[in-house]
Amino acid sequence: MCNRLLWLVAGGALTAAAAALPDIDAQALLRESDVLRNGSSSYVVRIKITNFEADKQDEEHLYAVSQKGLDKTHVEFLSPREKGRFLLMLGDDMWIYLPDTSRPVRITPLERLTGDASNGDVARTNYAYDYDAVYLRTEKVGDIECRVLELSAKRKGSTYHKIEYWLRAEDARPVKAEFYLTSGKHIKSATFDAYGQEGGRTYLTRMTIHDQIRKNSHSVMEYSNYEARQLPDKMFSQGRLDRF
Amino acid sequence: MRSIIIFLLSAAFGWSQSDNSEMRYSVSLTDEGEFAAGLRVPGADTGNLLLLEPTFAYKSSDFWRFSTSLAAVTTTQGETQSQLRVRETYFGIDAGDLDLTIGKRLLRWGTGYAFTVTGILDPPRNPTDPTDRLNLNEGREMATADWVSGRNDVTVAWASAGLFGKRQPGMLDTAAIRYNVLVDGFDTSVIVAHEGSSTFSGANFTRVFGEAVELHGEFGWSDTTGAGALIGGKYTTRSGVTAIAEFYTPASAERQQYGFVRVGKSRLRERPGWKEWDVTLSLVTNLGDGSRIAVLDAGRRFGKHFYAYTHTESPSGKRNASEFGAIPYSALASIGVTFQL
Repeated sequence: MCNRLLWLVAGGALTAAAAALPDIDAQALLRESDVLRNGSSSYVVRIKITNFEADKQDEEHLYAVSQKGLDKTHVEFLSPREKGRFLLMLGDDMWIYLPDTSRPVRITPLERLTGDASNGDVARTNYAYDYDAVYLRTEKVGDIECRVLELSAKRKGSTYHKIEYWLRAEDARPVKAEFYLTSGKHIKSATFDAYGQEGGRTYLTRMTIHDQIRKNSHSVMEYSNYEARQLPDKMFSQGRLDRF
Repeated sequence: MRSIIIFLLSAAFGWSQSDNSEMRYSVSLTDEGEFAAGLRVPGADTGNLLLLEPTFAYKSSDFWRFSTSLAAVTTTQGETQSQLRVRETYFGIDAGDLDLTIGKRLLRWGTGYAFTVTGILDPPRNPTDPTDRLNLNEGREMATADWVSGRNDVTVAWASAGLFGKRQPGMLDTAAIRYNVLVDGFDTSVIVAHEGSSTFSGANFTRVFGEAVELHGEFGWSDTTGAGALIGGKYTTRSGVTAIAEFYTPASAERQQYGFVRVGKSRLRERPGWKEWDVTLSLVTNLGDGSRIAVLDAGRRFGKHFYAYTHTESPSGKRNASEFGAIPYSALASIGVTFQL
């Protein structure tokens, strides 16, 4: 009789606790955060990535990124030693064009991961397309109340295996993220530092990525010259990658 | 012709934008010294190469574009010779789903790294230098029409064997059509061409499997030279090392067979002082006569604009009775530096 009573009380407590959890659609939150981060579904933007070693500027890379929809990204490399290169992502498929080979070369997902900020960080910014989201909890980051999501890769083209993602509770604006590989290794952390406005749309203007393996290394990604623009489909064809 | 190399101090890489027009320009200057060990033919065993490469591209309002890429080369090996090569100069019009170009263009349809069967318009591929490290390849004078719709791309091309300059030996006027489509991860092309009096047909593909494996292949058949085939793959390790292997049999009466292996890594280690390094080791083998040539490339970036490198080739095989054994030196070492704006 006592055991039955104990089970009833425990069951009631669990039911009450479940009822108290906010009803959060994690995938919808993720889609909202992508819109806030990217601004428009079709746009061009310039990205400058500055790498720092022990807080001293080390390397700088410049890119012109054209994004159309969720799965089409065209990246032009603009730094002196990389100019003439192009990167194309179509869903899970990726090519790089190098001027000395004069043809698009198919690259594997592992070839994308170089440096603190990888090609994947530049070219794949629609997390709702690449990841399934689950709501974990609500917690504060400084003074900002955040919803914490766990993102699991659902495509082979996803840059990371898992992401922990903090979104501002009031508007799903990304605040910070932790990135993990298939092995479970915690490889990077990121903070989404600043946002700008263009044509009534909000978009990310600055992001810092910290290397969790080499603790004194980090990269700052700065977004500028943002422009929402209709882009032709043929720009995202692997056969046309040799021209800008 | 004695060329005076003018170093363009004011040419900085950048772009200007007016409406949707854009411009890209750059200049690189390379100085490379070369030494041949065990030279078996008369001539100097040392040499020097000075290479100035300006490029310029302009796109006006997503409608027309112009692109040019030149190479001014001065080589000294005993005597000094200079040459101006036009790598590419072409004019293009963007008409909706159709792109039209006319001029001299570098076009590569083959998917192989060291060899190709279906690259009928490609510049000659040197297996010991598949990436054309000095960018000396020249395009062909051609007119092309490209139609792109979704994942489908049809290209029609007519290429001359040499309109304005000397006709290249062995090259023929070529008319070709390529259909390229991306289906289920397979990037596939079917090519038909008419070259002189001979007809060629072929196909190639690339596909990525999982995180680390890429496979590519080419097959072609010509009514004058027969069938050729290439199969190859690339594997990338988690540490970023890339290994490529290819097996190739060209369309020829001799039915030669070749193997190619390359292992390399860019950004040797993600640590200061190491990530500026790139290292690649290649081996090309004639499987018929057993001769081979090993190639080692190593380079380091200095700052934003400088790149220093070394390139070493070492052939082996029966002298005068094998393809690579007949190369008249036992080793060739090149050391160079490139400044790029």
